[in-house]
Amino acid sequence: MEGNIIEAAKLIGAGLAMIGALGGGIGIGLSAHGAVQGIARNPDAAGQVQTNMILGIAFAEAVAIYCLVVALLILFVF
Amino acid sequence: MEKATTTKWRWGVHRWFVLLFIILGYFAARAYPPIRPHVQLAPERLTEHPIVLPVIGEFYLTNTLVATFLVDIILLIIVWVVYRAVQKGELVLGGFAGAMEALLEGIYNMTESAAGKWARAIFPFFATITLMVLVSNWMELIPGVDSIGWLEHSAHGGEAAQEIAPGVWALVKAAGEEAHGEGYMVVPWVRVASTDLNFTVALALISVFMTQVIGVKAQGAHYFTKFWNTKNLFTVPVFGAIDFGVGLLELISEFSKILSFSFRLFGNIFAGSVMLFVIGSLVPVFAQSLVLLLEFFVGVIQALVFGMLTMIFMAQATQGHGEAHEGAHG
Amino acid sequence: MDKLGINLGYLLVQIFNFAIMFVVLKKWLYEPVLRLLQERREMLARAVEDARVAAEARANAEQEAQKILAEARAKADEIIREARDRAEEQKRAILEEAKAEAEKIKQEALAEVEEERNRVLAELREQIAALAVAAAHKIVGASLDEQRQHELLEEFFAGVKGKKVVVLDQLETAQADQVEVISAVPLTDDEKRLITEELKAKVGDAAITFKVDPSILGGLIIRVGDQVVDASVARQMELLRQKLA
Repeated sequence: MEGNIIEAAKLIGAGLAMIGALGGGIGIGLSAHGAVQGIARNPDAAGQVQTNMILGIAFAEAVAIYCLVVALLILFVF
Repeated sequence: MEKATTTKWRWGVHRWFVLLFIILGYFAARAYPPIRPHVQLAPERLTEHPIVLPVIGEFYLTNTLVATFLVDIILLIIVWVVYRAVQKGELVLGGFAGAMEALLEGIYNMTESAAGKWARAIFPFFATITLMVLVSNWMELIPGVDSIGWLEHSAHGGEAAQEIAPGVWALVKAAGEEAHGEGYMVVPWVRVASTDLNFTVALALISVFMTQVIGVKAQGAHYFTKFWNTKNLFTVPVFGAIDFGVGLLELISEFSKILSFSFRLFGNIFAGSVMLFVIGSLVPVFAQSLVLLLEFFVGVIQALVFGMLTMIFMAQATQGHGEAHEGAHG
Repeated sequence: MDKLGINLGYLLVQIFNFAIMFVVLKKWLYEPVLRLLQERREMLARAVEDARVAAEARANAEQEAQKILAEARAKADEIIREARDRAEEQKRAILEEAKAEAEKIKQEALAEVEEERNRVLAELREQIAALAVAAAHKIVGASLDEQRQHELLEEFFAGVKGKKVVVLDQLETAQADQVEVISAVPLTDDEKRLITEELKAKVGDAAITFKVDPSILGGLIIRVGDQVVDASVARQMELLRQKLA
């Protein structure tokens, strides 16, 4: 039974760790929102806006990725 | 009129094919219920005993190494096809070579718009990373990858094995009590290279290291003032110290780049393959097809993001941090 | 680290693998393709340039052609106009010549006809005179001698009476260049000389033309400038009829 409690705590911990992905999701949504608005206002600059949007999304996603890494570590490593 | 009817007829055929395969999938799932496989972060070893090579020493062959070599072979075939097409001397390539050329042209134009005259130096990194990651990611979509391999006895639990044909075994759900304790698990022969941290960390290290190399090439020793900015430290009261701190942060961010590069790719693709397992074991019929479609796009996007970020960081390294600031202030 | 699967050996294998692929792809994929792209770009640029040059040359040629055409047209117009002018002139000259010729021929013919008529009338004069004398003879009854008859006839035809042109008495002294003398029958040379002398005495030096018009029946009509002396028989008979009526 002890083992099972530790197992359960790991799963809960991993789940909690992934809450951090919330921030990444919000950030990606915001940057896509801004980029789409910018492209709608100025379709000629679509290429540049897209590049910068992907850059921004990558940075925002990095945070979510850290969460994923922590969750994976909790699940499979410890 | 006649053409329209034929098109309609063919559509009908395809629709029925899809339905047929869904029904077949249903019966297959009934006969052999899918099992949630063992999930492991580290790549599995395919050989029980280490291979001994003269120079390198002894090492185990892992399934991700196999996948890496497969990626290499696929890329070499692509190179051979395109090279032969180019050697023909035609100005417009056709077929597969034309598609490759269009892809490379797009990548090159993107590089040129961001890096200008340094495009020639940066482009090979962008293209190589993108191509390798793309091929590697798409290998996930091939049936059999991640699911065909040695059957291995495990002491920490697993499933029962059943011989479905001479020499061919399949995992089946263990009945009752046998689920706990001893069992069998599959060690796949091929596991997507992107789900091996060695692959992604290697790419991230190369990307970040070559960014510094290109930065030094473009700006000389001045490049390092980006990290160790003492120019204004003693002359400008507050902002000098802030600039110095920002430089240190830049240094830290270079290391965090390695982390984010490698774990972004690893996380996306590993999560993708785990999702494929899970969806496959929860809803064995049809649902996996949609996830495959999603993974197709994720593979493209991650490959492009890895390459494009490398390109953008390199382009920024060539442009000089300090000069941009001076320009902004003046 | 071990559980994450990161292993220095594998890491190095991956790095070298990447390096090998990098070199291979760069040498045998990127360079040929980039060269191809470059070539194509240059070819396109060249083609565009060629097209531009060709278009320019064509525009120039067109302009040149237009200019040449315009010049040629102007020249042709000039030539045509000149030719037309010359033809017009020639035509006018020919017409004038022809007209003059015709006029001359007509004049000659008319003169000939006049002369012929005068000749005929001169011949007739004698016969008329003879007939008139004969008729008078019958009416008056042989009372007229030969001399008298001739004088009468002369007076009748030429208005000449006793070596004097009686008609001229009515003429007022005037100055004129043109004098026309109209008689019913051609006058004899003596009569002409007589009339000429007397006219010269009256109006000075003037060009005297003699005309024959049988419709006046007899006598003379003398036209000096705008002055007319009508001493013709036809006139006298007209006056007589007016008196009788």
